[in-house]
This record gives sequence, C-alpha cells and structure tokens, in this order.
Amino acid sequence: MTTHTETPEAAPIVELIGVTKDYPLGKLTVPALRGIDLAIARGDFIAIAGPSGSGKTTLLNLVGCVDVPTAGAVRIGGQTTGELKETQLTSLRLHKLGFIFQTFNLVGVLNVFQNIELPLLLQGGLSKTERERRVAEMIEKVDLTPQTRQRPNELSGGQRQRVAIARALVTRPAIVMADEPTANLDSGTGGAIIELMKEINRVDHTTFIFSTHDAHVMSHARRLVELVDGRIVSDRAPDRQAQPEGA
Amino acid sequence: MGMYLTIASRNLRQGGRRTVLLMLALALVTGLLVFLLALSRGVNVSMTRAATTLSAGHVNVAGFYKATPEDAAPIIQGVAAIKKIAVENTPNLDYALDRHRGWAKVVSETSSVWCGLHGIDVREEKALFETITLAHQDAYVEGGRHAVIGDAQRLSEPDTILLFASQAKRLGVQVGDQLTLRTETLRGQSNTADVTVVAVAEDLGLMSSWAAFLPKQTILKLYGLKPDTSGAVQLYLKDIDEAPAVMAHLREVFADAGYALMDHDPQPFFMKFETVIGQDWTGQKLDLTIWRDEVSFLTWVLTAIDTVSYLLIAILAILIAIGIMNALYIAVRERTQEVGTLRAIGMGRRQVLGMFVLEALLLGLVATTAGATLSAIGALIIDWIAVPIPWPAAQAIFMNDTIRLVVEPAHLAAAIVAFTFVTGISALWPAMRAARLPPITAIHQTE
Ligand SMILES: Nc1ncnc2c1ncn2[C@@H]1O[C@H](COP(=O)(O)OP(=O)(O)OP(=O)(O)O)[C@@H](O)[C@H]1O
Ligand SMILES: [Mg+2]
Repeated sequence: MTTHTETPEAAPIVELIGVTKDYPLGKLTVPALRGIDLAIARGDFIAIAGPSGSGKTTLLNLVGCVDVPTAGAVRIGGQTTGELKETQLTSLRLHKLGFIFQTFNLVGVLNVFQNIELPLLLQGGLSKTERERRVAEMIEKVDLTPQTRQRPNELSGGQRQRVAIARALVTRPAIVMADEPTANLDSGTGGAIIELMKEINRVDHTTFIFSTHDAHVMSHARRLVELVDGRIVSDRAPDRQAQPEGA
Repeated sequence: MGMYLTIASRNLRQGGRRTVLLMLALALVTGLLVFLLALSRGVNVSMTRAATTLSAGHVNVAGFYKATPEDAAPIIQGVAAIKKIAVENTPNLDYALDRHRGWAKVVSETSSVWCGLHGIDVREEKALFETITLAHQDAYVEGGRHAVIGDAQRLSEPDTILLFASQAKRLGVQVGDQLTLRTETLRGQSNTADVTVVAVAEDLGLMSSWAAFLPKQTILKLYGLKPDTSGAVQLYLKDIDEAPAVMAHLREVFADAGYALMDHDPQPFFMKFETVIGQDWTGQKLDLTIWRDEVSFLTWVLTAIDTVSYLLIAILAILIAIGIMNALYIAVRERTQEVGTLRAIGMGRRQVLGMFVLEALLLGLVATTAGATLSAIGALIIDWIAVPIPWPAAQAIFMNDTIRLVVEPAHLAAAIVAFTFVTGISALWPAMRAARLPPITAIHQTE
C-alpha cells in the first residue's frame, strides 16, 4: 500500500468494519455494539441517534480512540486504531481528534482560557503569542470573552459546553466527536451550540459526529445514523422540518 | 511546564485537610532535621573551640623524647629552633605559641583529681584568655559570692594555677587556696610542687574537667627539665580548614631540616605512649598533628548525635513517604475523571506521571522550605538566648553549658532537597497508577 489510488475526498476519514464491543458486567458480558459497518466522509456532519442504551456513546468512544473495540476494526485516516501503540493513540487524539463530552469534563482548577489553551500546550510548537491569539479567537467564536478568566464552576451549563467545544476545536482537529452536546442545555442554548458546530463544519470542513436524542438537533445533520440495540437500523438524510436550508 | 505548575499549585491550594496535614508533617520532620543538624554542628563548634583552646593548636608540632628504648616523654628539645622553623613555614599563620604538657595528681586538703597540666606563658596566650570566662564564685563554692574572684593574669607569677569550676568544686578549693601537684619524673621518682589557685574558669565541656593551666616554670621545675624544652608548638591558622595541608607541608619542611619524624597517627598524644615505648629508638622524634587528632577520643559524641539523628529522620522519612503515597493514591482515585479527560484530549502517560510527581514536588518544596526556615529561625533564637543546659553530664557531652545551635545554610538546603526528593519518590507509585488510567475513565466515572 505505497500508492494512493484514491483522492483524499473519496477516502472515508473514519471507517468502522464489523465492529463489536462487549462490556463485562460481573460474569456476564453486555454487548453494546454488534457488528457496525460505517464509513464517514471527510467534512461530514453526522448525527447518531437511538434510544438510551443503544450504543451511541460506545460508538463515539471507539471513534474518539478513547476505547478499543472487542472485535472488528476502527480506522481513522486510514490507520487501524487497534494496531497503534499507546503513544500513537495519544498523538492521534491530540492532533486529529476533538472530543466533546456529554458532561463537559473541564479541568476544574483551570479557568476558561487555560482549559482551552490546554490542548495547544500539549501539542507544543506554537509561540506564546500565536497560542494566545488562537485561544482568544476561539473564545470569541464561542462568545465567552467576558468569562475568559472564570473557572468552570462559575459558568452556566451552556457556557461550560461552549468551553468544551472551544477546547475540542482549538487544535483544528480533522474530526470532532460530540456526545449529546445539547442534552444538558435548554433548547435555546442547544440551538446556538448546533449553529456554532455547523458554522465550523462549513468554514473549516471539520468532520462532526455527534449523538443526540433530540429530533430537532437531528434535523441539522447532513446524515443520520440510527442505532437500536447496538445495530445500525437506518442510515439516511434527516427529515428537514424546523431549520430552512440556508447556512 | 507552566500549565502543569498551574494545575499542581491550584490543586494543592484546594487540597483540603489531607494536604494540609501532609504538609504540616513534612514541615515538622524537615524542621526536626534542620534542628538536629544545627545541634550537631553546634557541638562540633563547641568541641573545636574547647579543643583548640585547651589542648591543641590547629596544627601541632610535638614529639617524644626517649632516653632509653623503654621510656617515652612528651617533650621536644630545642623548642626555640623548632618554633622558628614552624612559624616561618606556615602560610596564613595567625599566631603561634608553645605549651608544656604534663599529667599530675592535684591534691587539696580534702580531695584529689588527676589532671592534664598545660604549662603556658601568659604573654603568648591572649586567645586563651579571650575564650575562657572566669566563673562566679558561687559556681564552685557552696554559698559563694555571685562575683568573679581571681585574675588569670596572675599565672605570670611562679607556682600558680588556673582550674575549671568542676575541678575546684571537686577539690573543695577557691581562689587563694594551696594545692599540691604530684607527679613522676622521667626517671620514675616522685616530685611535688605547691601552687596557689589564682583563677577559676567556667567549664568548657568534657575536656575542661581534666585540664589546668600553670606557668611554664612550674612544669620545668616539677619535671626537672632544661629551659629550651616544651611539649608542643601550637600553630593557629587564619583558616582552620587549612590545617591538614599545613601539617603535610610542615612534615616535609622538618624532614628536610634534618628532624626525625613519627608517622602521622590521628590520636591525642597521651594515647601514643604505649606505641612509642614499644619502639626501639632513642633520642627525639617530632610528631605533627592537627587539632582533630588531639580530640579524636571525643568524636564519638558527634557520631552518636549524628547516628541518632539520622536514624530518627530515616524512620520519620519512611512514615512521611507512606503518608504521601497514601494521600496521593486517594487523590488519584478522586481525580480519575480528570485524568481520563486529560488522556482523552491527548495528554500522554508520561505527562500524567509528571503532573502528579510535580504536584508532590511542589507540595514537598513548599512544606520543607517552610519547615526548614521556621526551624532555622527557632534554632537561631534558642542559640541567641543561650538556654542553659542544667545537667553536668549533658554539659560535658554537648561541650558547653548552654545549648549551642549552629545553622549552616548548606544544611538547610540539604534538608529541603532531601525531603522534597523523598516526596517526589513517594509520589512515583500513585503517579504511575494515574498514568495507567485509560482515557475511558473520563466517561465511566460520570455514570
Ligand atoms: N462501562 C460499562 N460497563 C458495562 N456496560 C456498559 C458500560 N458502558 C455502557 N454499557 C452498556 O452498553 C450499552 C450501550 O451503552 P451506551 O452508553 O453506548 O448507550 P447510549 O446509546 O450512549 O445510551 P444513552 O443514550 O443513555 O447515553 C448499554 O446497555 C450500557 O448499559
Ligand atoms: Mg450515551
């Protein structure tokens, strides 16, 4: 495999091939995913939907290299995650992936600016001024400039989620996973978050994969994958109901 | 690095009771170490002072004279010439003097003590009289006056003696009383001399209990010696640390000048009689020593203090290490989600390890610096107010009648570095556990 026969656009940036994931639970094993085949194109904006316990979080964790499959293969940019060493996985998470947790998971002792700066510091390579410019720009984008020096516990849920998004995006990753990014937010704030993600997707061609329960949020996706009981039951364009096409 | 420091310092500040307790314990143990080091150093300083005042110069040119292979006298002949060579060849010399050495039974009307006699020339001994303090009469006479009686300068008069308080007490004498010195000459006959007590000095620890000063003439008379003899030429240097080098240099100088030299033997002269008596030479050999050699029989005190200190500190260090491991282990468990999150956004294992170790090091540095500094200040204050040591036995061991604490900046630094290092090492195991947490813990813990 030394030659590239496919153009980058045509090659899926994320590929799941026969992926299963079992969780041990005492003596039993709980199958969370049962044979998932999924290819996601670069720049896509894809929603994973399904009832509680259907495997949405599990799927995102596998794509985010936060967990490894029991069987099958997860490929990110052509690399099979199961074959990578720990340091390579770390590097992949740091440079290619952005993860937005359902519970925000901000570092409590750091303020908004420092939380967002964190991945850039881990990456290294940027000058202090350039790094600070990038962080400030990101803070501006998520509309948190007045809160720059506040700690997470001084922020509202929507503000925290925006910090989490900024932290995931500041490194300009190729793929962003977001686990129910709007679940803990009121519908107004949730809508704004989705708009922000759409904007970044449109401008930077960042691939977004997010899970949701919310039909309104699903309707913003370009592609909707529905899971039931660890299996894909449908894979289609979502119904356009609320938001008119325009952005 | 800046970010890790920020995380570490803020976590410490939020650490709560566990962190505070741990820091207190660390500060206490570091402070204790600093205090014990200051005590050891204080005893060392006291010992140096007592030794170099009472029984030796920084460098000593002494020797033995053997009339027959079977005897040995701690005498050097032609002392003027020896002193001249020593003075001319000692760099950075402060001053030089010579003293006679003797060993006699000091007899009073009620009691007697064996005592090392130092035959001195008052004009040479300015430093001696600056170091010793004359004792108040009530320190050695029951119901005596709280005033200094006597005058050390009267040692310039013949047949006088200066004693130390503990001896005066044991002999039941005071200034103005008569004593008889009884000794054996080289030829084995018993000789006596009567002397008058002209001054009584405060004790200088263990050594002063068997030292007394008297004029050279009295010793010459007591032993029937010729005038150009003495016990030792004592050289005092501007820097006492140069003593070994100066001694080595003088050995060469004296050898070149045709003097016979004994091999260097790091012991006080009175321990050498047996060896010298066993040797089959006659005439004179020079014996060069440094001050430490002359008090080597006392260094066990320092060794004992240091051994006890280090044992105590080692035990406490182990307890501290266990405490740190435990506290950090709990901290890691409490922070699994944070660690998982950091791993999920791309922090490597080594960085997680570094983060926890750094946090421990920071904790260690802050606590040990505080503990060491406070302890050093405390030690300086105790030293300054000169807390008296109430028990004679303890006074003897600590070579002083007040608690002497000498804080060395190097000791402070060593204590801080050592315990910060212990903290860092103890953090390794919990930090390694943290580093092994998989990124998935970012998610699990929330459910
Ligand atoms: N750590 C775990 N140990 C055991 N079972 C687990 C674990 N995590 C998930 N599961 C199980 O795997 C299945 C899928 O879980 P997952 O969290 O992926 O579902 P989900 O679609 O994200 O659900 P929700 O909408 O409630 O977030 C569920 O049956 C769940 O109980
Ligand atoms: Mg979920």
